[in-house]
Amino acid sequence: MRIAAVILLAVVPLTAQWLHYPTPGVPRLPNGKPNLGAPAPRTAGHPDLSGIWQLEPVPCGPGANFAGLSGAAVGPGCGGDYGAGREFGNIGARLAGGLPYQPWAAELVKQRSADFGKDDPVAWCKPAGALRLLTFPPYRKIIQTPAVTVILSERDVTFRQILTDGRSLPKDPEPSWNGYSVGKWQADTLVVETVGFRDGTWLDRSGSPMTEAAKVTEKFRRTNFGNLEIEVTVDDPKAYTKPWTVRLHQLLVPDTELLDYYCQDNEKDAVHAVGK
Amino acid sequence: MFGRLILASALFAGASASAQWLNITTPGIPRTADGKPNLTAPAPSTADGKPDLSGMWAATTEVIDRGPLGPTATPRYWLDLGPGVPGGLPYQPWAGDLRNARFAANSKDHPMTQCLPLSIVLMHSHPLSRKVIQIPGLVGILSEYNMMYRQIFTDGRPLPVDPQPSFNGYSVGKWDRDALVVETIGFKDGLWLDGRGSPSTDAAKVTERFRRVNFGTLEIEITVQDPKAYTRPWSVKVTQSLMADTDLLEFVCLENEKDRPHMAGK
Repeated sequence: MRIAAVILLAVVPLTAQWLHYPTPGVPRLPNGKPNLGAPAPRTAGHPDLSGIWQLEPVPCGPGANFAGLSGAAVGPGCGGDYGAGREFGNIGARLAGGLPYQPWAAELVKQRSADFGKDDPVAWCKPAGALRLLTFPPYRKIIQTPAVTVILSERDVTFRQILTDGRSLPKDPEPSWNGYSVGKWQADTLVVETVGFRDGTWLDRSGSPMTEAAKVTEKFRRTNFGNLEIEVTVDDPKAYTKPWTVRLHQLLVPDTELLDYYCQDNEKDAVHAVGK
Repeated sequence: MFGRLILASALFAGASASAQWLNITTPGIPRTADGKPNLTAPAPSTADGKPDLSGMWAATTEVIDRGPLGPTATPRYWLDLGPGVPGGLPYQPWAGDLRNARFAANSKDHPMTQCLPLSIVLMHSHPLSRKVIQIPGLVGILSEYNMMYRQIFTDGRPLPVDPQPSFNGYSVGKWDRDALVVETIGFKDGLWLDGRGSPSTDAAKVTERFRRVNFGTLEIEITVQDPKAYTRPWSVKVTQSLMADTDLLEFVCLENEKDRPHMAGK
């Protein structure tokens, strides 16, 4: 509970600035509400992924939490400013049989959950890594240009680049949290390949690991104005016995804006984070 | 003295051991006959006819004596905005005293030493590079420092009335012929505008005029109006040069951070 409280409750904005500003370009129903079932917009011959997105949250209700977590519960799934999606707690929550951990990885996840995730890089204001930028409760905003698609994350005011200018993946990349991402359009799907991850990133609050051997493929498809499907395949033979694929369903969040959330500002929590 | 500590972490930690994508050819850059970027070609335009500020940008440097570091290429006004303002910065007495005390203490309490965000003024002259992304309605500045971004809304929205204070503030921009004029309010109190500690307060309003004078040069005239800290508004002009055929790398200040306990004043 403790760490999730840190992560989630620290982002509560006191006053809502621009939170009711109508997003330009959003199709509207006769009553003025966004028409989220309208067709996906297009730009430069491709679907336009631009917009503010949230991972489909766990519905609110009695007992709602980050269902699917291994071990410890990590906080409420609703209430506060952001609903959290299941994959925030466990990226394999909807996978039959769960994530195919290698034995050492399964042990590690068990240990991390028993420790309430106290060593989560995010609890220490380190980057979340490319995939967790897609599952965090704080929103993300996609900006698409012909040469680059950028994902801005509200968490830590940080970004990730996906280069779409035709370059190839680097051969011997310097390891990084986000890795190196190149994207190509296949019909209406943006297919993104990423290599060059640093060792030791966490994929979820349960602590599912990813190693520097990982190769990640993401397929971004905006099925209509209000919905974005991101199919993520992780091929990391060091940590998992086989490649696995999950779908991250993102909902458009219209008529609002990202706010600054900076983890390190007035940070007093980390020293209080303890395991069992 | 500032250089020894803060710039040691800011500059050298940002140097990458191996250069990834540093030799790719940036598409869309005009070239001379020998294949080199033609940086004096006219500034590009976007499809909607506005000047296109997009690109990787490096702060213009000058060689200054940095004490223990010796003569060092340093972004102009990065350490000290004063030389860019005729007569120097018009500090209110408390602000001048504070700046002098910070300088005397080797800027050891600079927000950067705690891995906190840069002020938008400091971001323009940070040694780590920036990338500008421009789409209709929005200009984004991606900073290599801590992989942070700033948004400038160009969709016609007004400034918020009672903004929640933040590091970046709230920015709206309008095109004035070939210049993007950006107004920003809503800053947190206590930001540092330069390396030596010129302060700004929550009363600050910053106006920036971005003008891409040719393909390879971006001029940014910054006007700071902060009556709590300065006796009158003042302006400084910074310039940036296009960095062709390269890209942003990750710089995470908190990664293996060991510097902070060693920060000493006099």
